[in-house]
Amino acid sequence: MPFSSNQPSWFAIRKELSHMQKLVLTVISFCLPAALWCLVSYVPGVWHPDVKLTVAASREGVATVFTAGDHLSKGYFPKYVDDVRQENAELLAAGASQSNKRKNQKLLRQIAPIAIKANWIKPEQAQDDALIYQIWADLALGKKTLPTLNEENMEIVRLNWQKLSAQSNTFSFQTLPQEMLLKLLPQGVPANPSYLPAPHEVIQAGWRSFTSPPTSDRATMRERFASSVQIIFYGFLWAAIIGVPIGILCGTYGFFSHLFEPFVDFFRYMPAPTFSTLLVAVFAAGDAPKVALVFIGTLPHMILMISKTTRLLDFSLLEAAQTLGAKPRQLIGKVVLPGILPNLYNDLRILLGWAWTWLVIAELIGVKSGLTEVIETQGRFRNFDEVFPIIFLIGFTGFITDQFLSWLHGLLFPWASTSSKLSRKIAVIVTWPIRTVSAGVRKNGKAD
Amino acid sequence: MPSNYLDKAPEVAARFARLQQRPITLEVKGLTKEFITPRGTVTALDQVSFSVHKREFMCVIGPSGCGKSTLVRILAGLESATAGDVMVNGKKVSGPGPDRGMVFQGYTLFPWLSVKENVMFGPKVSGVPNTLAEREARQWIDLVGLSRFENSYPHQLSGGMKQRVAIARALANQPQVLFMDEPFGALDAQTRCDMQNYLLEIWRNVDITIVFITHDLDEAVFLSDRILVLDANPGRFREMIEVPVPRPRHNEQLFEPTFAATRMHLEHLIHPPGQESKSAPVIRLTKPDPDVI
Ligand SMILES: Nc1ncnc2c1ncn2[C@@H]1O[C@H](COP(=O)(O)OP(=O)(O)O)[C@@H](O)[C@H]1O
Ligand SMILES: [Mg+2]
Repeated sequence: MPFSSNQPSWFAIRKELSHMQKLVLTVISFCLPAALWCLVSYVPGVWHPDVKLTVAASREGVATVFTAGDHLSKGYFPKYVDDVRQENAELLAAGASQSNKRKNQKLLRQIAPIAIKANWIKPEQAQDDALIYQIWADLALGKKTLPTLNEENMEIVRLNWQKLSAQSNTFSFQTLPQEMLLKLLPQGVPANPSYLPAPHEVIQAGWRSFTSPPTSDRATMRERFASSVQIIFYGFLWAAIIGVPIGILCGTYGFFSHLFEPFVDFFRYMPAPTFSTLLVAVFAAGDAPKVALVFIGTLPHMILMISKTTRLLDFSLLEAAQTLGAKPRQLIGKVVLPGILPNLYNDLRILLGWAWTWLVIAELIGVKSGLTEVIETQGRFRNFDEVFPIIFLIGFTGFITDQFLSWLHGLLFPWASTSSKLSRKIAVIVTWPIRTVSAGVRKNGKAD
Repeated sequence: MPSNYLDKAPEVAARFARLQQRPITLEVKGLTKEFITPRGTVTALDQVSFSVHKREFMCVIGPSGCGKSTLVRILAGLESATAGDVMVNGKKVSGPGPDRGMVFQGYTLFPWLSVKENVMFGPKVSGVPNTLAEREARQWIDLVGLSRFENSYPHQLSGGMKQRVAIARALANQPQVLFMDEPFGALDAQTRCDMQNYLLEIWRNVDITIVFITHDLDEAVFLSDRILVLDANPGRFREMIEVPVPRPRHNEQLFEPTFAATRMHLEHLIHPPGQESKSAPVIRLTKPDPDVI
């Protein structure tokens, strides 16, 4: 029995769950969406609104050309097959002619994509007619089998081979039949739309793109990741260097609050991306405009949030400090700052999460760069299995960072969070260098 | 045996006479406070005057909203008076300062500082060196009986312990006067009783004048030498009562006639007899229960 009976009920209104229950639910909260994704991807009959072509047919006088791997809607696929059947009937009806040899050479090669897929030939051998001729022979005579071809297509293979072998058992353009060969009928398997690749495809693509060896002309995934993190780091750092002091001043003094906040409030409503072309003009190419975009996206929110946090500090603490003789300057250093620090830290945590949003936009301005560039280019080619790993990477980076910072919050501010005895002990150890240094600085300051 | 609150035993009367001879630590003259609110001017205090002698324990009592907190906040310098003067040892007060300590009802300990660091706060902002401040803080913490908790953080303490830290913190500054605004109001009855005894013990051992705000009549009589009674709306000086209960105080005195008489008098001042509005309750039981009467 995994849970003892003194565990709180799973559905008690506004009651804390036990650690074990929380852990179980956390795991489930990640497993649920993953399970849903697997269900949709792997269970036949669930959704799968498309047909993914395994055998495609080229057609005369039709603009859209399908190749194997393309997605078709389930509704259109039967018509596509019927159209090809119709064409085959017309080909049969057409008589023999010298000019048909060229067309037949083309039809000979229609087996190439299937043979490549089956690893019988290499992609560069797709026009090696002698090899392909042999494949027709092998298939028709049963020396090779291809489970992807259905019975109707096998019949076509045999019919074609009859015509071919009647002339010659090996390829030569001269001996190609003058009657038309038949086209293979399109075949396909049920599939989800290309924008929802299956989990294993995403994992494979992710593994591929992160382990692919560096080339001189394209940045590796690692470099892209580093560049993205760097942009967010500098953008956020600059915003914090400027935003934190202003926010604290606004929250402390009515003077600064009314001097800065009205404009900041207005500025907040001008979406940061609207400045993108301007920023590129000001900072030119490279990372600078991107850092600037993260900066101006983060700064207004930072000022307003921190000023609000500062105002929320219990005013009676300031009064108590005054009755203990603290001067205004000391009030800021000894009461306001330490008092708001845990909440300020949490504000910055939340803002850092938002900064990722600005990063994605920042990487699209000027010269596209970083992780977002990959999303943009691969998405354009509908290689969504390449896109998802990056989306997940950004998500996990943000999530892990936030969880880490949250854990650190418990260590840094044991008095502000309901931390365990153990984490308080760790806090004493972890913060020891900081405390020693700051004590030293204070002592030196006194001595001067 | 009906006793009058004005009847004092000779030794009590003699003690009051001696107290009268002491220098005046806190003098309040014609204190008026008006709040400008959107709905007009609220007069919280109207021409309040009184003085407190050195090492006297004075309580201020009055109905809720009569301006007790406003009074003590002005005395501490956290609020400015509309008119009137506050003087500590003959010096006019403007703004808060370390010569007047304050203990608030909501503990107001600095949650990021340990008990010891909280107590060291006052001395350190006035420039006392760290080691000295720490040594003194230990003594104050010892005085309020919290030595075992000097490295604990406020959120780890009970309400009574927090308030003891707040008292130690205020005393560590060695103020002339200590203002306390309903400091035990949030505590349970037993803890409050203990805290009252603690406070008297501290007062005996420390050179401090105390002005104590409360709305609890027993507390006022038990603790104080004199009780300042305020009227509500606007807050006005009503009466200054010299408590005839002899010192040292102990809990059994609650049942002595002088205590009861003083308490009764206060009761009449604050809730005048005949004024309680007691309308007949709606009777909801058709068959009355003879045992519930
Ligand atoms: N900042 C303020 N602004 C307006 N009115 C106030 C303010 N502070 C107190 N008052 C008013 O002054 C009166 C006295 O309040 P207070 O001193 O808190 O009473 P007490 O502490 O005796 O309960 C009340 O009527 C209250 O509404
Ligand atoms: Mg009050």
